[in-house]
Amino acid sequence: MRFEFHDPGGALTVTQPHAPRIETLNDRKIGFLTNDQWQAFRMLPKLRELIAQDFPRAQILPLDAFPQGNAEIPKETTAELVKLADVDAVIIGNAS
Amino acid sequence: MFRNAVAGLGLAPDGAMVTFPMPIFLPESDISPLEARKQEFYDGLMRWRPASAGAQAERGRVIALDATDHEQALTRFNHLAIANLWGDGLPLWMPTQARVDWILRGSALPRTTVMGKMPPRGGVATVEACAVALAMAGGRPEYLPVLIAAVDAFLDPSTNSDQLQAASGSAFPVVIVNGPIGRQIRLNSGFGCLGPDPQHAAGASIGRSLRLLQQNLGGAVPGTGAMANYGGMRYTNAVFAEDEDGLPEGWQPHATLRHGFERGANAISLVFASGAANIRRRGAKKETAEEDALQGMHRMADFLRAPNLHCIPGYAQGTPGVLMIPNIVARRMAELGWTQRSIVEFLWEHTKIPMRELKRSGSVSWIEVDTNPITRASLALDPWPIAHKPENFILIVAGGGHPTNSYWLQGYSPAVVGRRIALPDNYEKLLAEADRDLGLGS
Repeated sequence: MRFEFHDPGGALTVTQPHAPRIETLNDRKIGFLTNDQWQAFRMLPKLRELIAQDFPRAQILPLDAFPQGNAEIPKETTAELVKLADVDAVIIGNAS
Repeated sequence: MFRNAVAGLGLAPDGAMVTFPMPIFLPESDISPLEARKQEFYDGLMRWRPASAGAQAERGRVIALDATDHEQALTRFNHLAIANLWGDGLPLWMPTQARVDWILRGSALPRTTVMGKMPPRGGVATVEACAVALAMAGGRPEYLPVLIAAVDAFLDPSTNSDQLQAASGSAFPVVIVNGPIGRQIRLNSGFGCLGPDPQHAAGASIGRSLRLLQQNLGGAVPGTGAMANYGGMRYTNAVFAEDEDGLPEGWQPHATLRHGFERGANAISLVFASGAANIRRRGAKKETAEEDALQGMHRMADFLRAPNLHCIPGYAQGTPGVLMIPNIVARRMAELGWTQRSIVEFLWEHTKIPMRELKRSGSVSWIEVDTNPITRASLALDPWPIAHKPENFILIVAGGGHPTNSYWLQGYSPAVVGRRIALPDNYEKLLAEADRDLGLGS
């Protein structure tokens, strides 16, 4: 016997939720969005330092270039600020 | 994407992430693994590709299953549910097209109606998806209007459900139902209203189906999409009716008091809670009625006066929690002159926490980092009220006619969202069929 049932996982409409990747970090503008939690206040500055060492021509925005905090990051206004900054890539952290 | 990124590991499974074991995220941790794995960050920005790149939009599918008989089909379906993370580990009904179509008779809306996307995974929350979940959870058509209203409220951005779904604080939705629909569909408002009850099965089915939607559409699987440490109350969430017949004269149903719906309106109110605890309210000796009421109020307030701080997200607009009292207590207190207003004012006044205790527990920092200026400004207050205003407390009459206990659903809720419940034209027929099937009368 054949039984048919609806997929409990439903449907997704998002087909390409991710920004295109970039070929190099040199000559590119890199931003950070930090919630300042889970040691992000230590880890993201360290990561910024590492990128600066390994990609000396990268333009890396300061950690406080955009609003910080779990409640600020999700806001549309924050997304707009990121777009206005014309960054090529964004690193977001920390989640736990 | 931004929103999900800090909500936990609730990104799409193919998100560009660099993950570390938990110790690096703890105070004074060794962050040297960051340098050792820096290339993974660079690769995430430069080389990573989503596994689904170029794929067509996923559609809601119908899945075929071959079996020798219904018994084997149900067994195989439940094995599939475990393997595909569709369920809660307990037996489920198979959401066959016939069963889902039967459930859909309870909707006033077309099955394709989209209410939003269930965060963080982003599965599309349609009326049909609600019916699928309700079918799996053992529900009935007459439950569907309550579930649809609850899902609509859940998806209201003010609830922060996208973050609470993934966050570690074990938030679970609480759905308070007002109006005649509660009695009509056998929602419990009395004894054992938050637990299993064969005479009132609706709450468990509706709450379980909401949970299935949170997991199956939203991706809130423990340890991956949902980082709740404990996840209490999440099998069925909390879905119950207010005991409107037990309200003292002059008291208003919650949906009227909080949301302004007219008395008698079918409506739900959704909040998030992160804990549930019984409070022994009644005195043990020869207290007078006044002493019993006042001591009970102090006992409840003392229990609530704790620097636990799950109340912070809801400080300004939400709620510190839901206090449930039995009808006999409500009536007795009303006879003594207590009103809904005077009770929440008492609670607000007597749950204030001395600032020295907030400082001692480090709780001040949680208030300082909150984004709401009203919440941050509250640090000027000593003692510190656990809510911006008395009416933020939710007082509900429910729990049966016994005077000893009250119950506290600890709020973790930036908002309290109300929704009217829309009924289909055939609703009376559905109720008659329920009477026929269940035989208990409504």
